[in-house]
Amino acid sequence: MSTVTLKNLVKDYPNGFRAITDLSLHLDDGEFLVLVGPSGCGKSTALRMIAGLEDITSGDIYVGDRRLNDVAPKDRDMAMVFQNYALYPQMTVAENIAFPLKLRRVPRAEREAQVRQAAEILELTEQLEKKPAHLSGGQRQRVAMGRAIVRHPALFLMDEPLSNLDAKLRVQMRADIAGIQRELGVTTFYVTHDQVEAMTMGDRVAVIKDGILQQVDTPEGIYGSPDNVFVAAFIGSPSMNLYEATLERHEEAGGDRYSVVLGDQRLAVPPEVFAERPALAEHLNRPVVVGIRPEHLEDAAVVADHPDDQRLDATVDVREALGAETLVHFNLSAPSVDSGDPDALDELRDSGRCTARFSASSTARVGDRARVNVDARHLHFFDRQTHLAIRS
Amino acid sequence: MILLVVWSVTPFVWTAQTSIKFTRDVASKTPVLWGYETTANAYRNFWLDSDDVNMWGVLAFVLVIAAIAAALGLIGRRARHGWPWFLGATAVICVALWRFPRFWEANDEYDFLVNSVVVTLLTMLISLSIGLLAGYGLARYTGISGAVILIVALGFRALPRTAFVLPYFFGAKEIDEWLTSTGVGSWNFPLIDFPGIDTLQVLDTRLAIVLALVAVNQPFTIWMLRSFFIEVPKEMEEAAMMDGATRLQAFRKVIIPIMWPAIIATGLFTMLLAYNEYLFVRVLAPTEWTLPVAIVSLTGGESSRTITEAAAASVSITLPIVIVIILFQKHLVRGLGAGAVKG
Repeated sequence: MSTVTLKNLVKDYPNGFRAITDLSLHLDDGEFLVLVGPSGCGKSTALRMIAGLEDITSGDIYVGDRRLNDVAPKDRDMAMVFQNYALYPQMTVAENIAFPLKLRRVPRAEREAQVRQAAEILELTEQLEKKPAHLSGGQRQRVAMGRAIVRHPALFLMDEPLSNLDAKLRVQMRADIAGIQRELGVTTFYVTHDQVEAMTMGDRVAVIKDGILQQVDTPEGIYGSPDNVFVAAFIGSPSMNLYEATLERHEEAGGDRYSVVLGDQRLAVPPEVFAERPALAEHLNRPVVVGIRPEHLEDAAVVADHPDDQRLDATVDVREALGAETLVHFNLSAPSVDSGDPDALDELRDSGRCTARFSASSTARVGDRARVNVDARHLHFFDRQTHLAIRS
Repeated sequence: MILLVVWSVTPFVWTAQTSIKFTRDVASKTPVLWGYETTANAYRNFWLDSDDVNMWGVLAFVLVIAAIAAALGLIGRRARHGWPWFLGATAVICVALWRFPRFWEANDEYDFLVNSVVVTLLTMLISLSIGLLAGYGLARYTGISGAVILIVALGFRALPRTAFVLPYFFGAKEIDEWLTSTGVGSWNFPLIDFPGIDTLQVLDTRLAIVLALVAVNQPFTIWMLRSFFIEVPKEMEEAAMMDGATRLQAFRKVIIPIMWPAIIATGLFTMLLAYNEYLFVRVLAPTEWTLPVAIVSLTGGESSRTITEAAAASVSITLPIVIVIILFQKHLVRGLGAGAVKG
């Protein structure tokens, strides 16, 4: 029905700024693709190029076999949901939703039936005669959705539609939008800066930074095996702890043993980790970037059954009890790595800062010297120069 | 605040008082502030010119007609299909005007009134049309030439009017001379037959006044409308275009309705400007006066009789403006309050 293909898209602004560099993407029919990246990374520009609201410097956009570069926005058969909803303030909800149909000269009876149907899907039946100014944020969001779904377009474009909602509503709308999309089966291109939205809503996630596509994969793939340091740090909350470290090999009688030197501490790495990543051998005795996700760190006082050489010692700086789990921040005396995320707070780039996700039963207090179990099978390794993952 | 109100209202109250006094009170050395006999003679003199017409009858007739038209208009606004009611209101007004022809013929003041209305409406219409398109373009286009146009427009606005009026006068005169010398002015156009016009000319016509006023006011309308257009998020027309509208449709069906308060506010300002204009009318149209010029001509003489008449005229020409502003004040406030159009 409607696949979408972007081929080597480039966008240069008149002032010489290159917003998008060589973006190629393919969306299958009915797929929900989330384009995620920090602010100012060009993700909205990409969306607006697909919509036809922004000129294309070079490259091609296809929907199915049809090249859309020079097609006017109104003829592209796409519906867009804007960040600020862009509802027409002078029209009622019903008129807002009916507007695209009216422009297509759909007869009145049919129009009203379709508006009612869309309103039922979105639970807006009560609000149909109100003006947008009298609606809550969530309702406005639904009206914007209604205006998009009422005409059964080939493609939905959504530009951070949830960013103006409060946290609770956002969680609910996240599920609702994903549900509606699945129900209608319309190919969807969704742009957000919120990696949680990307992970929960997308069939696939595309991570973009500075106009350059970093990785496209399923949410699990992106989270489990990030291609580079940026993706590793950007996806996941709290984000992955990244340090400069040195790999060492000790030849012993029972087979070689490997370890990672993190500052003044040494962490044993199971041999199978090296067996899975033969390329690591080239980085022996050289600095690499090592990544540890917070959930792969656990309080040794809670889980005693853990190899002793896969533990780190650290002093607890901050403790955040979240109920189901406890976030513990401490300082490893190893140099941190800057992932290049412009949205990251500077204090998080402080050298050696580490976040762990302990179970709620952890009794670690601020100022305690804690022993931390490291699940060394889940370590991530990256090249120190190129920041690319070392996986093969 | 109160001081300010007193400061600006007092002259008008004085004028209004003068308009209903007898000449002897106005002319007395010590001002008679209260306790004077009131009279409508001044109004009668200005509008009716002869004393034998029953003035209150005329006023009642006008009021009744206005009430009927207003009622029909209100029903039209409520009704699902408003246009038959509006048509009815228009018909009532037309019939009323047609049934009262003698005033039109008897008195110069009505010519001035018609001139005033025509000049004001045309100026508003042309000014707003140009202002809307230019303001929209300049609000959305951020290039350097847009800024140049805006600054130049502001510069022209800053120049005193007196600097413009003579060039316009001579320009109009040149055109007239050309029209006469080439004979174009006295052509008979095959399809268009201008009633009551034998020769085309520019000077001393309403056209000259309208063109000059539009030219002088245009910077103001462009600037004002532009500032309102900037308030309308760009996403509005983008959403409309994604919904399947052309750029023009997006402008007409989405942007213009959002802009109504702004258009009304700008239109009112333009209206006041054109309605109250004196200098341009006086110079460019020696005989085609509008009301303000007519009033000034009354104050010219030394006779105190005409002073009451001038006062009466001032009050009468202020009333329509006050009525219009009261009618639109809701929109005016909304239009002037920035951010009213946020989605």
